Amino acid sequence: MSDVLARREQALTPDETAELIAATVGDAAVLGTTVEYGTFTLHVASEHFAEVARACRDERVLAYDFFDCLFGIDAREEGFDVVAILYSTSTGNRVALRTRCPGGREAPTCPSLTEIYRGANWHERECWDMFGIEFPDHPGLEPRIFTIETFEGWPLRKDFPLASRVVKPWPGVKEPAELDEDGNVIERQPQLGDAPGPYELDKAMAEQAKLANPQAAVDPATAEGEEVEDALGTDAEQAPDSGAVLAGDAEQTQEQHEDVKSEAREKAEEKRKAAAEARARKAAERAAEGADDTGVAEAAGGAVEPGEDQFPEEATAEAHPEGDESWGNDSDAPPVGGDSDAEPTGDESDGEERS
Amino acid sequence: MSASDLSAREINHPATAPGENLNLEIVGDGAFTTADMTLSVGPAHPATHGVLRVVLEMDGERVKSAHPVIGYMHRGFEKLAEHRDFRQNMALVNRHDWLSGMTNEMGLALTVERMLEMEVPERAQWIRMLCAEYNRILNHLLFVGSYGLELGAITPMFYATRERERIQYLLESATGGRLHYTYNQPGGVKIDLPKGFLQQSVELVPDLRKRIQDLEDLLLGNEIFIARTRGVGPLPPEVALSYGVSGPTLQATGIPEDVRVTEPYLKYDQVEVPVPVGENGDSWDRFYCLLNRMKASLHIIEQVHDHIPSGPVNVKLPKMVKAPEGSTYVRVENPLGSLGYWLESDGGRTPWRLKMRTASFSNVQMLPYLLEGTLIPDAISVLGSVFFVVGDVDR
Repeated sequence: MSDVLARREQALTPDETAELIAATVGDAAVLGTTVEYGTFTLHVASEHFAEVARACRDERVLAYDFFDCLFGIDAREEGFDVVAILYSTSTGNRVALRTRCPGGREAPTCPSLTEIYRGANWHERECWDMFGIEFPDHPGLEPRIFTIETFEGWPLRKDFPLASRVVKPWPGVKEPAELDEDGNVIERQPQLGDAPGPYELDKAMAEQAKLANPQAAVDPATAEGEEVEDALGTDAEQAPDSGAVLAGDAEQTQEQHEDVKSEAREKAEEKRKAAAEARARKAAERAAEGADDTGVAEAAGGAVEPGEDQFPEEATAEAHPEGDESWGNDSDAPPVGGDSDAEPTGDESDGEERS
Repeated sequence: MSASDLSAREINHPATAPGENLNLEIVGDGAFTTADMTLSVGPAHPATHGVLRVVLEMDGERVKSAHPVIGYMHRGFEKLAEHRDFRQNMALVNRHDWLSGMTNEMGLALTVERMLEMEVPERAQWIRMLCAEYNRILNHLLFVGSYGLELGAITPMFYATRERERIQYLLESATGGRLHYTYNQPGGVKIDLPKGFLQQSVELVPDLRKRIQDLEDLLLGNEIFIARTRGVGPLPPEVALSYGVSGPTLQATGIPEDVRVTEPYLKYDQVEVPVPVGENGDSWDRFYCLLNRMKASLHIIEQVHDHIPSGPVNVKLPKMVKAPEGSTYVRVENPLGSLGYWLESDGGRTPWRLKMRTASFSNVQMLPYLLEGTLIPDAISVLGSVFFVVGDVDR
């Protein structure tokens, strides 16, 4: 160990190394040196890549005997870079030989180092597997070292999409590439070809479940008509304190039950507003086209007469509107704006019945 | 042997299904000839520590050539890392070598810190050293136990598991994790050590030293163990360097190469780091180095106890950690060898390229050299003594 540290005193500086290699291999070989963040990089002309590595190993003052690694880097339009990192156990120096592969993005090639360092074999196979960089003198790049033999494409190229992100987007809003300077989410409109999100998948699964088991889907629909009839009578008024409070009874409910929480009160308020809006909207619609009334009647299983559709509007307690859309009795519901409001009615009263 | 001879040997790299080219020839009429046989060890075999497959060309009991087939556990970590920011990548890198999570994430944290030119608080650096050395002992204990198991000794595994449990308990109290700690972050560690951690640590070290001595007595001087490992799979130092072999496998060849000494990071330049070396580079030497690296780690832990200051353990990070444009390469001493991260950044919040130079990849690449000409039982001895984790090979 002491002799290593002693030799370290005599280790060449980056500039001296570059000069020595330029003198040994030729001035054309060395394109430049950079030292950034403590890493010494020697930029090498591609055709002299192997010769430079050989000089690094054989020159006694350099003595880069330890082959650290070799890998490719995507260099955008200009193609690909190959970096080989060498280390000297005697001088403690380390150098990264970096070269730009000729052939652009279509047919990148790079001289092989397998004749100089045994360890280059697998690293070059990995480089070919991941980037498609050919090493003409390599004893055998195939079969692909990491991916399966039938794999197509070069995974670490930037134009190769990450499959897991295509199948399913990043859960939540933490996609790092979609945040702005302050870490806020950049709103992005879905593009053509974007994968459906989890919610879409849920809906698709609901559809499939319905197809697979049509009985379950039919049952509530048939029950709906009866329930609506019941609700029209006394049922709704008898159970005013349940979750789906009728909007018209909201104030009465508050009076009757002193212990109603403020949340419930607010909810009831909201429901009343929503119901009032819906009523106004519906009135406008009815004024516009009288034919719509039949649609309402159909939606409510034929049990609700045109004059009585005030009740379904009031009962539009939107406790879980999304769930209603996907799981509810919308099999025979017309998806027209105001009419779909009639749908949750059946569900709500349904829930009351069961509870 | 010249390099070209060796390259020629590695061309024949069969990638066929097990038994597909099982070349058995039945010879009748009393003529006694043997046919070469292809034996596929793995991908699921107890002697391979994971899903490494080694295709052995056999001549009777003797291995004519060996071809490791890797990639069964390739998870594309280098691609995944390009889609995660630097804090998320911490959770990624402690998974490629699942036995050395602390060292891996520390390596990436050091890489990011070097690019950001970030000052890490003193206490955080010492805590990192402490946890990394405990992680090293955890890793080595498993290999000590399993190597004994492969050679037919069951007891060391139990001993090693018992000690591992105590260390894991200690690390769990600080990090919350037993295997994947995610304790480091750019600028320090996540939280300070819990109350009483150092006291427990101080009490644990003498116990561990005693137990490691027990393991050494059980194995190193054992007659059967010596017969199975002495002179088996010798590795010349120049071959090891040419392959890029590192860690205990390289130290066994007599080269005192340890990143903690030759390129000190954190506070390793302020402590004494003993580096064990072997003489012949055989299986016995590799195991000897492994055992003594544990003792060295204990020695370092004791020095950390003396040095660790009080103070903050991390720096306040901006909302988004962004490395400036450029590239850097940082090496740390992983339990299995030299671990390097090449980080190339385009100034964005995710790495443009994060190359993981793992020790196991280079070590496994050297296996054909060692396995050629050995007998089948010796092949097991060699495979177990070149310490690797398959997740670290395939990434």
